[in-house]
Amino acid sequence: MKGIVFTEFLDLVETKFGLEMVDKIIEQSQLDSNGVYTSVGTYQFSEMLQLLQHLSANTGIDIDNLLLVYAEHFFGVLEASYPELLATYKDPIEMLASIENHIHVEVRKIYPDAELPVFIVEEKTAQSLVMVYKSSRAMHHFGLGLMNKTFEHFNSTATIVLEKIKADGTEVKFIINKN
Amino acid sequence: MSRNEIDILKRALQREKAARKAAERILEDKSRELYLTSEELKTTNLKLEELLDEKSTQLQGVFENIIDAYVVMDLKGNILKFNDPAIALFGYDIDKAPVNVLRLIYKKDYKYAMQSFKNLKKNGFFTNYSARIYTKSKAVKWVHINASLIFNKQKKPIAAQGIVRDITELKNLELQKELLLKKLEKSNDELQEYAHIVSHDLKSPLRSIDALVSWIKEDNKAHLNAASLQNFDLISNTLEKMEHLISGILNYSSIGFDSVKKEAVDLNTIVQNLNTILIVPEHITINLKTKLPIVKGFKTKLEQLFQNLIGNAIKFIDKEKGFIEIDVKETPSYYEFSIKDNGIGIDKKYHEKIFKIFNSLTKRKDSTGIGLSIVKKILDIHHGEIWLESVVGEFTTFYFTLKK
Amino acid sequence: MINTLKVLLIEDDTIEVMKLNRTISSLALKHEIIEANNGEDALKILEQKENLPHIILLDLNMPKINGIEFLSILKEDEILKHIPTIILTTSNNQKDLLECYKIGIAGYILKPLKYEAYVSKIEKLLAYWSINELIKI
Repeated sequence: MKGIVFTEFLDLVETKFGLEMVDKIIEQSQLDSNGVYTSVGTYQFSEMLQLLQHLSANTGIDIDNLLLVYAEHFFGVLEASYPELLATYKDPIEMLASIENHIHVEVRKIYPDAELPVFIVEEKTAQSLVMVYKSSRAMHHFGLGLMNKTFEHFNSTATIVLEKIKADGTEVKFIINKN
Repeated sequence: MSRNEIDILKRALQREKAARKAAERILEDKSRELYLTSEELKTTNLKLEELLDEKSTQLQGVFENIIDAYVVMDLKGNILKFNDPAIALFGYDIDKAPVNVLRLIYKKDYKYAMQSFKNLKKNGFFTNYSARIYTKSKAVKWVHINASLIFNKQKKPIAAQGIVRDITELKNLELQKELLLKKLEKSNDELQEYAHIVSHDLKSPLRSIDALVSWIKEDNKAHLNAASLQNFDLISNTLEKMEHLISGILNYSSIGFDSVKKEAVDLNTIVQNLNTILIVPEHITINLKTKLPIVKGFKTKLEQLFQNLIGNAIKFIDKEKGFIEIDVKETPSYYEFSIKDNGIGIDKKYHEKIFKIFNSLTKRKDSTGIGLSIVKKILDIHHGEIWLESVVGEFTTFYFTLKK
Repeated sequence: MINTLKVLLIEDDTIEVMKLNRTISSLALKHEIIEANNGEDALKILEQKENLPHIILLDLNMPKINGIEFLSILKEDEILKHIPTIILTTSNNQKDLLECYKIGIAGYILKPLKYEAYVSKIEKLLAYWSINELIKI
């Protein structure tokens, strides 16, 4: 998992819960990296899982909600880092529909070893989109957060319903309707 | 600040320091990698440049060395490039005055040229264009052209190139050949016609003699003695033999002159139909041992082939019970036929001679010595062979082959 | 049925003419033979429309107008084309045979070598046409 996901995550934890919480979840986890992260490095996904689990335990907020909040924060990082990429889109539905065929293609150019989830478009109209998310990471709420922010970015809102196709969350259907 | 807070800050600081160092290390690795990559790129570029030079030199070599004319023109037909053979062929020096391809096209081939140009633009190439052109001195030459479009980087066609071969000589030879063939065909027809006329003219007097002799005989029945009557019979026989000869020569000279095409011929039908042409005496049985194949050939000629061979067999059977056996063996590329009879047989020393014209071994009046030479000639035009095995007084087997 | 046929023989060979005449007389037939030495003479004879022959015996190899040319002229004439024309020739040339049947003939008989064979052929020929119903002009 790319280092930027860790550094941004820990920055957010620091902002929301203080440096003490950052120190606490790092100390509670068994990390190969010893909690030393740089945005240009690459780290085990299991480290993120541990950090999330301990944050959830310490704060009483469930992991899905933590991911949702983190994703909303992370969208800001993307906005700041890749404004040109976002500028190629005029419409949130268009942008979400092209995750697989455009955005991920671009991501792979910069990070050839990135492990990306799969988004399959099942139905698409100007006002709605049905996509299936597939990833062994089961980070669908991270996706949901990014989607929410995407609509916000284009000054729009949407109702997004999640339907788990597999109970463990590795395959989830997103039903998106523009408001 | 509590002890605990200080510890937390210390740890955070340590992590930050370690992260900075890790980042620096990663970046350093990356920049080394970048350096190596750029070095590699430089080498590759150099190689590419060399390759380009090499290819350009090769192309230049081809352009200068090919014997055929090489022409490059823009899409409006303006000639951009002529190699030396092209200059020699067309007679124009394009460095002195511009030339458009339209000026080179022979008037009657204009439509064909335009159609070919259309194809070139549509398909990107044309091959085997063969037409006439004008040279600068207004001489007409036949050329063969293969052409293709030249594209720019954006894959847009910008010009066309062609290899032009002067085929004037070849065309002239072809025309000459056609003329010769036509002439030959005509003289063949004439010969054939001539053979018929000659045979008619030769036969007519024979008929007259026969009629006149019959009348003399009839009118003088009372006055003729036995010797004279016998002499009249001899005249009659001689006339008959003469007529056979003339028919034979006509048949022999007609083989190969027919304009008919080869067709699939069922040899079974041919052999069955022979009964209507040949008279098979009662003491002779013809036995077809296997079913005969269907071969490609000239039907009437193959008919004659079997007719002559079986006719011969019938003629020379001297036994009380005669038999003729027809058989065939198949090989991958041809059929080998055999026709066996229990007749008088043929001495080994005549086995070659009998196929030559006028080499009858007997003095029979129904034997002119042409039959087997016709058989040989028919097999010649079918690319077949013939030979025989025989024991004098016992049997003769003729073998012949026909291609599948 | 006609017992006496009017036969126009177009033949340039004197002995051939003699052969037909002798055949008729030796068979004691009453047919009338009109002789023409060539096609031109024959056409002149055929101009007398009131006295046309019942059948024509035509040789192919003749000087001036040859048999096939004569046949073509005959078949283009509205009246003469109805006269049955039998070819009497030495030529067994397939080309001639085809051409004659294409233009239109009532028979194609090869002149045999033997006089006896000739007599037999002519006898059959005349007998056949004697029992035929012919167009009366």
